[in-house]
Amino acid sequence: MAKTQSTPVEKAARLLDLVPFITTHQGIALSELAEEFNLSQSELLSDLNTLWMCGLPGYTPLELIDLEFESGYVSIRNAEVLQRVRLLTKQELVIILLGLDILRSSLDPKREDLQTAISGLTRRIKEIVGNVATASPIVDSTHRAIITQAIGSRMDLTVKYHSTIRDSVAERVITPLELSLDLGFEVLNAYCHSAEGFRTFRLENMRSVELAGSSVNVPEPCDISDYQWQLLIKSRFRTSSERFRSTYRPRESSVGEHVTVNSFSQDWLLRNAVSTLASVEVQLPVSARSLIAEKCQQTLELYENWVFPN
Amino acid sequence: MHTVSRKTERLVNLTIALLATKRYITKSEIFRTVDGYEGSDESKERMFERDKDDLRNLGIEIEVGTFDPLFEDESGYRIKPENYQFQLGEINAQEITLLSLAAEAWRGASMGQSALSALNKLHAIGIESDSELLLDLAPAIINQDENLAIAISAITSKTVLSFSYLNEELQPQSRALEPFAVTSRYGHWYIFGNDLDRKANRLFRLDRISGDLKLQGKSSAFEIPSDLDVDNAFATSSEASHAIIFLRDGRGLNLRSRGAQSALTSAPAGWQEFRMEFRDRERFIEEILWYGNDVIVSEPEELRIEILKRLRVGVVTYG
Repeated sequence: MAKTQSTPVEKAARLLDLVPFITTHQGIALSELAEEFNLSQSELLSDLNTLWMCGLPGYTPLELIDLEFESGYVSIRNAEVLQRVRLLTKQELVIILLGLDILRSSLDPKREDLQTAISGLTRRIKEIVGNVATASPIVDSTHRAIITQAIGSRMDLTVKYHSTIRDSVAERVITPLELSLDLGFEVLNAYCHSAEGFRTFRLENMRSVELAGSSVNVPEPCDISDYQWQLLIKSRFRTSSERFRSTYRPRESSVGEHVTVNSFSQDWLLRNAVSTLASVEVQLPVSARSLIAEKCQQTLELYENWVFPN
Repeated sequence: MHTVSRKTERLVNLTIALLATKRYITKSEIFRTVDGYEGSDESKERMFERDKDDLRNLGIEIEVGTFDPLFEDESGYRIKPENYQFQLGEINAQEITLLSLAAEAWRGASMGQSALSALNKLHAIGIESDSELLLDLAPAIINQDENLAIAISAITSKTVLSFSYLNEELQPQSRALEPFAVTSRYGHWYIFGNDLDRKANRLFRLDRISGDLKLQGKSSAFEIPSDLDVDNAFATSSEASHAIIFLRDGRGLNLRSRGAQSALTSAPAGWQEFRMEFRDRERFIEEILWYGNDVIVSEPEELRIEILKRLRVGVVTYG
């Protein structure tokens, strides 16, 4: 895997971590060690060759760290001073703290032992770094685990999915294809057998995920035609842009902002347009404008024909 | 390449020497005995100062003490083993597994490098993970925003951050913040801290920051309050308002899960009545309108009139 070359300090940190690791894994294969530290074989060899030159003052063979790796398997001697596992930096503790938070929320509630263990670890870490990080995940980790397993073993999934656009929950059988990100949200690209088409599912909207049978043939994906609407945002610029998931930039003027938004779902665009009647005007296409007018009219009639006092 | 490994070697050798010593050793001893300090006295001094900083950035604290009471001006240095080694104490296989899963959640995210070095350390402890646990869980932290890493490093080093934040008008505003905490909510990352200009605690959504977060000034510039409660920061001080709304059968699922269904209802057949609480009026109106003719506001009247007004504008504008 190509990566940027480490700085001398990063390399030193890695050497300090290699010593205790090799100490507890004497005789580990070079390839395995390289994988653990995410290094190429030649980077690892360069690390080991450097480490070989290190030791206690005096730097005679008596003081130098003794490494053996010519056989393809690595062992270490005379490194007692460095064989303690190094402390976790505060940065590392903070990311672990966040990771534990995410983990906690997707544990089986019956596993009280795990909940207790996580609470204990969290408390120990917070004693060191303070209460500086929390995370509330929106995706259930067990769902992600099942999806990953299904993709790997070419299995179908039965998913109970809450479509926010349709405003309904329905069970679908899908063939999962790949996990990806859509504007910061985790999505699963899949073939939906219920809808007989390719669909994108947001993981956070999955109510349940179960393995179904093994995958049957999935048709070749065809281009999904996108709806493209042109908007004029007149106020509430940030909220409106976020609602239409349009990227935004700093702006100097206070006049309206012209943006083009795309979606595979015309219904989603329509709902957003009605939602932002007071701050956004959809300019094109003309067909979109009549859809919005129609939706406003229908809703208005409901209000007007009902028994509400006016 | 050669200078790269010389510097690396010197840092490792310095760590070994300072860790092995039971007493403080002086700078001149270090220059004389630790491999790699070369050149004029001045350049050795410079090297040593930089090396100390580099080690500190790796979390390795070098203690400074007096070497000899008779020579008070000459300070000595050492690294106490208890300040160097893994600090979470005794841990078992289950705990190692949980810590590893927590670090692995960052795979591919912006903190990948820190996660990897944390994993290397955890694995170096030499306790096998509980593999049964590993199968059922795949925690993942979704973040591609490099600013999260900068925010965490500012918090852990207690350094002031400056950045440009986009307001509702999308106009950039300069902010200086003593960062206290990061938190993820509703799929977004937030940074919480003391806003130095507004002299109050504030919450900022990371993706609304325009450009990079910048570290400003020295580290250890402030204290993080010990009674910090980030969750509390999300509780708005604005008072809650209430509304009675009608939902069409099986519609308005998100509203249903948030509201309370009324037992006695004035809603017609095919509709249910719900009592809702809201704080941000404008957001609530937009949410109601989002559902079109599946959600109708009954009370309060001023809210209903506002929605009617907007719908009429819609009919006129688009009709």
